[in-house]
Amino acid sequence: MTDLVLKNIGKTYPNGYQAIPSIDLVIEEGEFIVLVGPSGCGKSTLLRMVAGLETITQGDLLIKGNRVNDKEPADRDIAMVFQNYALYPHMTVRANMEYGLKNRGVPKEERQAKVTDVANMLGLDELLDRRPGQLSGGQRQRVAMGRAMVRDPKVFLFDEPLSNLDAKLRVQMRVEIRQLQRKLATTTLYVTHDQVEAMTLADRLVVLNKGKAEQIGTPMELYDKPATTFVAEFIGSPSMNLFDAMMTEEGIVLSDKTRLPMSHAHRGSVIWGIRPEHLQQSDEANADFSLQVQAVESLGAETLIHGLLEDGSGQPKPMVIRLAGPHLPEIGSYMWLIAPAKHWHLFDAVTQQRL
Amino acid sequence: MSVYFPQKKLPYLLVLPQLIITAIFFLWPAGQAVLQAFYREDAFGLSQQFVGLENFVDLFSDPLYYKSMLVTMVFSFSVAFLGIGVALWLAVMADRVIRGKMVYQTLLVWPYAVAPALAGVLWWILFDPNIGPIALFLDRIGLHWNHFLNGDQAMILVVISATWKQISYNFLFFLAGLQAIPRSLIEAAAIDGASSFRRFWDIVFPLLSPTTFFLLVVNLVYAFFDTFGVIDTTTQGGPDGSTNTLVYKVFKDGFIGLDSGGSAAQSIVLMAIVGLMTVIQFRFIERKVQY
Repeated sequence: MTDLVLKNIGKTYPNGYQAIPSIDLVIEEGEFIVLVGPSGCGKSTLLRMVAGLETITQGDLLIKGNRVNDKEPADRDIAMVFQNYALYPHMTVRANMEYGLKNRGVPKEERQAKVTDVANMLGLDELLDRRPGQLSGGQRQRVAMGRAMVRDPKVFLFDEPLSNLDAKLRVQMRVEIRQLQRKLATTTLYVTHDQVEAMTLADRLVVLNKGKAEQIGTPMELYDKPATTFVAEFIGSPSMNLFDAMMTEEGIVLSDKTRLPMSHAHRGSVIWGIRPEHLQQSDEANADFSLQVQAVESLGAETLIHGLLEDGSGQPKPMVIRLAGPHLPEIGSYMWLIAPAKHWHLFDAVTQQRL
Repeated sequence: MSVYFPQKKLPYLLVLPQLIITAIFFLWPAGQAVLQAFYREDAFGLSQQFVGLENFVDLFSDPLYYKSMLVTMVFSFSVAFLGIGVALWLAVMADRVIRGKMVYQTLLVWPYAVAPALAGVLWWILFDPNIGPIALFLDRIGLHWNHFLNGDQAMILVVISATWKQISYNFLFFLAGLQAIPRSLIEAAAIDGASSFRRFWDIVFPLLSPTTFFLLVVNLVYAFFDTFGVIDTTTQGGPDGSTNTLVYKVFKDGFIGLDSGGSAAQSIVLMAIVGLMTVIQFRFIERKVQY
């Protein structure tokens, strides 16, 4: 059953600025949807529109089949976790979690039972009588989630909930959020600018750019078949290498005149892409091209090599390759590389769309 | 942090101007008041007689002094609560204004620039039983207004005059306090199903409590000691002492009644009250409300 439907949703501010032209999205019950994009892409605005904190100026928002455009946030049966957690500083953890239930007239015993339940699940039992100021960042994060969970809402909304945590805690909380969501099977809309978070959490991702959904799909769909150059660059770290190229009878010709044999109906300017992890080292005889090494980042399990793709034009193009295990090529030396054809990505040079 | 000076004299020299000012303008007159409190002086200031604690004994056996104390309490708390209440209401409203915010806020701050005596005169004219538009309006709706005869009405007049000015001051603090509350807290409460009424009383008001407490003390001090001008221009403490606050009584007994000893004794009591209020202010405000 569909849980949350965004039908031609758009937002135009009173001053005429169009933050979101139009977005269509159908979310199934229990799905974990991540809205991801660079800052200013409209992802938070979209989430706040679903929450009812921003007005919707166009389209319909349906929760469980009911149009809720004009309903107050409280009447939409959603719960939200804010970036700064937005815990009530003068209330204890228990009072924070109870507040929503209290406002809805839930009797005291039931309230306490629910809070105890959720506190148990999140390991907050010991902290119930403390105030937010006496908690660590991770604990506050957990309380914010607990406050959302006690209400047992139809939809969870997360607005960059992990961005105030340190790197280690972020990874830990990421895993916890995913496990909790699986267990509760509550439909979730999650906003982040971090593509790793997006990839690891999402059932499906929505990549937003300038208020438009560039692509909607599972993490692997987006990784394997990015619909636009924007998605190609945004998903995956380090980003995909993209080069201007020409599609001819003989295949792809890069600007440095390197020819890569390929048969494709398209002719003319294209953008050719390959991910850093798909490039392979080879010997001079079999290589597609050579790379002059500029910098080496050794990460232990893998090595990132930044280099320049030499060409006759005098403007070498930067390229990154990612190799498993340790490698220590000399700076300035040349590496011979193969780009396997099955990992190529081709985009129209004008529309930036996948070919 | 401490700073060490190589010479012993320099630091004393540096604080000397401040010490001199304090001594001449505060310690000396205060000392004079303390001394005078133990003397009885004739009306022309020609002779003094040491009377020990007699001035204090007189003071505390005078039913008029207790009446003045009660008047001061009623007046001060009315001014503080009214001033804080109205200012909070205005600040909450101003915080919601989107268009013309600056104009609105600036206009609300203006009354603070009006001198207390002028504020008194302004309201005195508005409420004048013969020519005041408000008094005439009240008469028309059947409420006979004459603060020259009716003590309660006189009290209402001085409370309004004193409060009006203080509202601007309170308003500024409340507005700053409101703007310091993160928007997401209010939004979280809205999602939690709290009506705007509940959001205010459950979230906003408790978070403003440090500001409110600070203003309560400041307003009480203001109403206690800083409203001489307002009272002098409107009611002169009358009718029948119904607006005769402690500070106004000091002036009246000392300069009009020419009882300098009794007036000095009252000053000492007032000094003690200021000291007490300062202690309260430091003890509670410095600690802040913890969360």
